[in-house]
Amino acid sequence: MSDIFTRYGDGSPTRMSKEDIRFDLEEGTQDAADRGKIPALTEAELDRLFEICTMPEKAVTVERGDEVIVSFDAGTLKLPVRAGVPMDRSAAILTHERAFCSDTMELGHVDYSYKQLKAIIHEECQAMEHIQLNTIIPVFYGAMPNLGLYTKPDGPIENWSELLPLAKIDEAKAAQEEAMEHAVKDIVYVASRMYESGADGINFDTVGASGDADVLATLKAAEILKEKYPDIAIEFGMAGEFVLGMHGELYYDGTRLAGLYPHQQVKMAEKAGAAIFGAVINTNSSMSFAWNIARAVTFVKACTEAASIPVHVNVGMGVGAIPVTNTPPVDAVSRADKALVEIGKADGL
Amino acid sequence: MSLEDIIAEARETILQCDQARAVAVAERAVAQGFDPVQVLSEGFSYGIRQMGDLFGRGEVFLPQLILSSEVMKSAVAILDAAIQGGTPQAKAKMVIATVEGDVHDIGKGIVVSLLKTQGIEVYDLGRDVPTVKIIEKALEVEADIIGTSALLTTTLMGQKKLEDELRKNGLRDRFKTMVGGAPATQRWADRIGADAYAEDAAEAVTKALALLGK
Amino acid sequence: MAITHEMAAGMGGIRTAGDLVARMQMTKGMKIKEAKEYVAAKVGVSTFDLCDEAVMKEVREQLDIGHVQARVGASIGMEAKFNIARVLDMKIKAVENFKRKTGM
Repeated sequence: MSDIFTRYGDGSPTRMSKEDIRFDLEEGTQDAADRGKIPALTEAELDRLFEICTMPEKAVTVERGDEVIVSFDAGTLKLPVRAGVPMDRSAAILTHERAFCSDTMELGHVDYSYKQLKAIIHEECQAMEHIQLNTIIPVFYGAMPNLGLYTKPDGPIENWSELLPLAKIDEAKAAQEEAMEHAVKDIVYVASRMYESGADGINFDTVGASGDADVLATLKAAEILKEKYPDIAIEFGMAGEFVLGMHGELYYDGTRLAGLYPHQQVKMAEKAGAAIFGAVINTNSSMSFAWNIARAVTFVKACTEAASIPVHVNVGMGVGAIPVTNTPPVDAVSRADKALVEIGKADGL
Repeated sequence: MSLEDIIAEARETILQCDQARAVAVAERAVAQGFDPVQVLSEGFSYGIRQMGDLFGRGEVFLPQLILSSEVMKSAVAILDAAIQGGTPQAKAKMVIATVEGDVHDIGKGIVVSLLKTQGIEVYDLGRDVPTVKIIEKALEVEADIIGTSALLTTTLMGQKKLEDELRKNGLRDRFKTMVGGAPATQRWADRIGADAYAEDAAEAVTKALALLGK
Repeated sequence: MAITHEMAAGMGGIRTAGDLVARMQMTKGMKIKEAKEYVAAKVGVSTFDLCDEAVMKEVREQLDIGHVQARVGASIGMEAKFNIARVLDMKIKAVENFKRKTGM
């Protein structure tokens, strides 16, 4: 009998029988275990996950005492830009601090890539200095490494997304290696200036969006920054659940980056000096919430067990079992949060 | 060599990106009089779909995937000649684009590479392509299929716009349509009236071939 | 989304002790349990009470480390951060910058 209200990964509402939900939980954890070569959830954990998925309440919460830290990417893009509220970025941060009671916040520019920020770095520094006078919560400065921006027509380097389909593999690899050098310089420059202006932390958001070279550039930049500023707090937020091998032959500390899953990615981030790791598990919009959350929790549990630093799981639209829709439903979001914290042992979201 | 051995070796050559061996296997299959369609579909094409799956799991990387598709093309050329008996046959045509407002095209590039291995003539219009341009190109090249990709929930509506424009202009029956990208689903395809949805590059190949009746 | 996450699993920011625990994760790379224990010891409450609005209101007012409700004479912004740095025995970059710029 179809008696439990739930959703698909694209947010569509549906009803499923308890048997089907249980089946999808088992399939989801197995999928993560197969892909990541990590342990599947135990029967007891699946039982708890089943309870969370089938709770009749619209919104659920973690148990008292289990609360975690919430950090943000694209922080100041949300209220003034995406929501269209006519406020400046400092007002957005204060709204988060004093009205939403966010634990941390992030200052970011609408052109959210390190490369683009060089030209406006003075304005960004000034904004950070001003914001630091008025805020109490820690404020990150964040942007994306976005290696793709160094390719034609946006940059000087040949576009490997065009070279690869033409089977120009060596040229595509060389282009990525060249782009890395530019990206490292830009990331270090922008992050240094923002840290010196008082940023409490630097957020590398969507690391790996352009593949393994994007990850290596960010790891190298983090290493340089940590050596330059031993007290700098770096958050390393990933783009996807495994590192996309656009190059395929890039190594960090002897480990090939392409194909690494969250429990392996976190070790790279730690070595580079990150203080917080932002794990990402993609939501499959065709599958049920039960399948997606079982999969996400399995990856996160392996990641938090492997990590020596706190893991903040990405729970934005389309990741961490959050449905791929602009208005993620509260029932799915709150269940994802509860499961990731209680079973996945996330240190933050 | 038995047909089973040929098929197994054909798969292996794709997985190992071994061009010389792939050509040799294709030539042997033709010389021994095996059905080239069967060798292609159960051997080489199966191998390329396996590569697509492995790529989707992070177990092989893009350069290997591209290399295997090049290997596939060499084998297809030999088998195609045998299938057609030397007579050139019209290739199926597909126009593909990332919809307007969306600049994500990594996934689409992979789909294009795999589609080409199947002998489909692909017209890749790139990213951020207005609906009207997609239709114009499809008409110009007399495409069989129009494929669109969208990574963002905000640009997904571009796929619906294409369906609406095709219907409005009385062109809907001229083309088969396929949709893909992270926010797209079979439910979405059904809702907007697209002919097929593919979750990844390997499935895009299977679905495109099905739409072409192959 | 921000509100949903905070309601479902967040610590509550300056309404409770979320900002303080976040600072320990950021600067010391502490996992959540260790970060809560560190902050709890520094502000003199149990880790359980770190998310209790009633308990933390008093603590925050007493330590003068900022709170959501405006109060005449209470520290806000940079002032509160000076006190947080002292209470948590840590350095805050913006506070250090302020001291340098003002010759403190």
